[in-house]
Amino acid sequence: MVRDQIVAMGVTDTATLRAMRTVPRHEFVPADLSSRAYGDHPLPIGYGQTISQPYIVAYMTERLRPRRGMTVLEVGTGSGYQAAVLAEAGATVYTIEIVKALADQASERLKRLGYAAVNVRHADGHFGWPEAAPFDAVIVTAAAGYIPPALVEQLRPGGRMVIPVGSIYGVQNLVFVEKAPDGKIRTETLLPVRFVPLVSEVR
Amino acid sequence: MTRRLALAVALLSGASLSYEVLIVRLVAIEQFHHFAAMAISVAMLGFGVSGTALAVARPTAERSNVWLVRWAAASAPLLAVSPLLARSIPLDAARIVWDPAQWWRLAGVYLSLAAPFVAVSLAILLAIRLRATRPGAIYGASFVGAACGSGLTLVALGTLPADRAVFLPPLAAAAGALLIAHQPGTIGSAAAATLLAGAGVLGALPTVRVNPYKALPQVLALPNAERVAEEHSPLGWLLAVRAPAFRYAPGLSLGYTGAFPTQTGLFVDGEIVGALTDLRDETLDLVRWLPAALPYALAPRRVAVLGSDGGLAVQIALVHGAEAVLAVELQPAIVRLGRQLASPGSVDAFTHPRVSVAVGDGRAIMTRTTRRFDLIALGSAGRLGVSAGGLHASSEDFAHTVEAYVRYLERLAPGGTLAVSHWLSQPPRAAVRSILTVAAALRAMRPATLERGLVVAHGWATAVILARPDGFDGAGVAALQQWAAFHGLDLDWYPGVNPDSLRPAHVLGNLDLTRAAAAATGSVADVQAFTDMYPFAVEPATDARPYPHHYLPVRTIPRFLREARGSWLPFVEWGPIAAGLAVLQGAVLGGLCLLLPVAVTRGHPLPTTRWLVVVAYFGLVGLAYMAAEIAALQQLQLLLGHPVYAVAALLALLLLTSGLGAIGSDRVSEHRGASVTLVLGLALVACAVGLLPLVEAMLPASLGVRASMGLTSLAPIGFLMGMPFTLGLRRLTREDDGSVGWAWASNAFASVVAAPLAVLIAMELGSPAVFAIAGAAYVVAALVVRRARPDGR
Repeated sequence: MVRDQIVAMGVTDTATLRAMRTVPRHEFVPADLSSRAYGDHPLPIGYGQTISQPYIVAYMTERLRPRRGMTVLEVGTGSGYQAAVLAEAGATVYTIEIVKALADQASERLKRLGYAAVNVRHADGHFGWPEAAPFDAVIVTAAAGYIPPALVEQLRPGGRMVIPVGSIYGVQNLVFVEKAPDGKIRTETLLPVRFVPLVSEVR
Repeated sequence: MTRRLALAVALLSGASLSYEVLIVRLVAIEQFHHFAAMAISVAMLGFGVSGTALAVARPTAERSNVWLVRWAAASAPLLAVSPLLARSIPLDAARIVWDPAQWWRLAGVYLSLAAPFVAVSLAILLAIRLRATRPGAIYGASFVGAACGSGLTLVALGTLPADRAVFLPPLAAAAGALLIAHQPGTIGSAAAATLLAGAGVLGALPTVRVNPYKALPQVLALPNAERVAEEHSPLGWLLAVRAPAFRYAPGLSLGYTGAFPTQTGLFVDGEIVGALTDLRDETLDLVRWLPAALPYALAPRRVAVLGSDGGLAVQIALVHGAEAVLAVELQPAIVRLGRQLASPGSVDAFTHPRVSVAVGDGRAIMTRTTRRFDLIALGSAGRLGVSAGGLHASSEDFAHTVEAYVRYLERLAPGGTLAVSHWLSQPPRAAVRSILTVAAALRAMRPATLERGLVVAHGWATAVILARPDGFDGAGVAALQQWAAFHGLDLDWYPGVNPDSLRPAHVLGNLDLTRAAAAATGSVADVQAFTDMYPFAVEPATDARPYPHHYLPVRTIPRFLREARGSWLPFVEWGPIAAGLAVLQGAVLGGLCLLLPVAVTRGHPLPTTRWLVVVAYFGLVGLAYMAAEIAALQQLQLLLGHPVYAVAALLALLLLTSGLGAIGSDRVSEHRGASVTLVLGLALVACAVGLLPLVEAMLPASLGVRASMGLTSLAPIGFLMGMPFTLGLRRLTREDDGSVGWAWASNAFASVVAAPLAVLIAMELGSPAVFAIAGAAYVVAALVVRRARPDGR
């Protein structure tokens, strides 16, 4: 998966690639879909949510440059896979999920798999996680048409944020937000993403 | 007996059209709009299959009579069971690309949908076969029945949800079957259908199940989400949902730190269309930090808002002190809900004393109004991510053409401004096209001030384009610069800009918006050079090709396919792809149904030349009819200013007049078939040249006058369009050699292919070209029939 779907698409960050190789993705998908867990596509996890395509998880993770000792806020826990990848890369992760059933399942799963550095909360991500702020990085995995002010506020100066804009079914434009040391905000619209089944010759 | 049979056929045909309308609505709600076109295309293949079946079986007259009664009886329970079956299949459209299991489910949905069409079609075809000397009467009755069926269903959708109206088609079919029933089995079948339909009314049918990836289920999954209001209409299913965690603020500036008001999400067919916002003193600031508020830096007093975004766009105007706001909203239900849910003390969009509301199409209202505005604010008609996903690529939109923008600019008071907002994509497409369209409109209206008439700005997610025919003066530019700097917006273009000095805080890559604006305000050659160089099609949309959300024309596809593997996929446009797949599936399945029986039976009863003449003539007639219908539909949309009313009016008009034409054809000598078809072809070529200019000239007239004009210009053509099929059919019915079945099949298969093909051609070449192709097809059909021997050989 990592060589054919992620490295081949240009992801080079060592910590990200190591984390993607280590996290058992099949543990994060419904049992009946585990045989498809490493396929080059997203998979449904219920409640209209998906576990993202491996490449997109890797691409977003790389943009955050996770390193040991960093604290990262994630909004939209889903299956917990993205949080596990960030934790595997060395970060302490605070992750918020608004759908209680998903939050409970992810919490239990992450505990079972030994990801003690991931803290799961069932809450409205709009308000961030003020007690654990400021964060070195913020990742929003649920598409939104606005960036919650609290997330910008809880981002440490010099911190980075990645947020997708668009619908799950359509195209998502990934927006990269950077808070300069003086507090000024700079954004960059990255390339659009959509679940991208790779062509067969690279397999 | 012919009269009773004609009435039965009308009921059966009405049932099938009613079912078609309902299926389109249900698939649009439960899946996505473009699947509706594909599903209905397959369902219509059922008509072709019935023709092939009859051509192969060649029943005797006596057997035809028995089969007619049986298939009429079978159609009622099939129409009752079909929606149950189709909707019980757990199809996940989002997984079709990579999950083969979904393909089988899709095939199951297709089969379930096609089954009742096969039954109804067989019954109609057998009835025509039995009344060989007067096929026009039966065929005409099927058209008239179809007109009534679709019309009544659209009326019913005003009060009934589509998933509850599914009892109508089986009831109509059961009534038709009973009219010609003379066996207990028929009566039993009709009774069973009635019972099933009754069960549907009483709630045994599953309620509407929206695709979980649409916005509505996502919001309904939020804690404490509640449905607060709901309305059904032919325009769509509107649902208002309130949830504490739901928030709607398109592209809100990153500088905003205040609280969010309570908002109620508005969803049409499961997709978000805006939000009702309970705006109070403590949350007023929110709307001041939306990028769409940029033009209010110019302090406009009289404002028109085209597309209210659920009222938010109107509230921006009110909070910024506009003295009079005209809120134009296409969906009357949104206005009703807005008024119904308004709470005391809030700045309400639809009940505020400074707001007047006009329900209808923004362009049509702007064309007719005598009022003048300091600001006309226009939404993009593209929802978050959906437009970039290409779902609207094949949808006509006359609000964002050069002609429309000229009309808006003409309604501005001296010093007035037109503002257009867009979601940003990467690379920018909608915003770039809008810059070029606005500039083209300015150039057409007042070329001397073009250079001073354009301002472009963007934030982290949206872009705003401002156009002023009188040109922006220094004070105006300074006000915009000050507003943009304070609210964290980048100015990409303004009069006097030095592009080299721009240091955007929101990086889009390559300064595309600045380059687009520079080209747009330059010479026509500059614009041409820019559009030629840009990797997407961004040239302005026009009334002849009203596809402002289509960025990937055929010529650009090879370039994208050469890009790195997979990198072009995010730019794929699903609307045209769905149309392309519909053409492909129609051509393959239709071709198989036509050719396979011939190959298997080895030397079918028709001589090859006769078979080819029959297939060519009736195929061309089917293709031409559908192409003319699609082209007329586009131009009628512009004329009537409303897509749903245009579809309803056109269906009623064309089906009725074609039905009358078919009935009338019984009185015309079959030898005149070629002449009638030739005249029709030439009339459509005339439409290609003259109808669009006529429609544009009529736009300022009242709706009644415009509707009358549409009626009088298209009715004679519709009447003629009903004749070529039955005149040709009468020529075939002298011999019982299966040729009627082949005629029916080739006509149906050609129609199935022609509908999506006409849409694709219209996207590339424009609706006048589709009219011309329809005309040419009729002319060729006339030549085919003229060259054939009198017996059709």
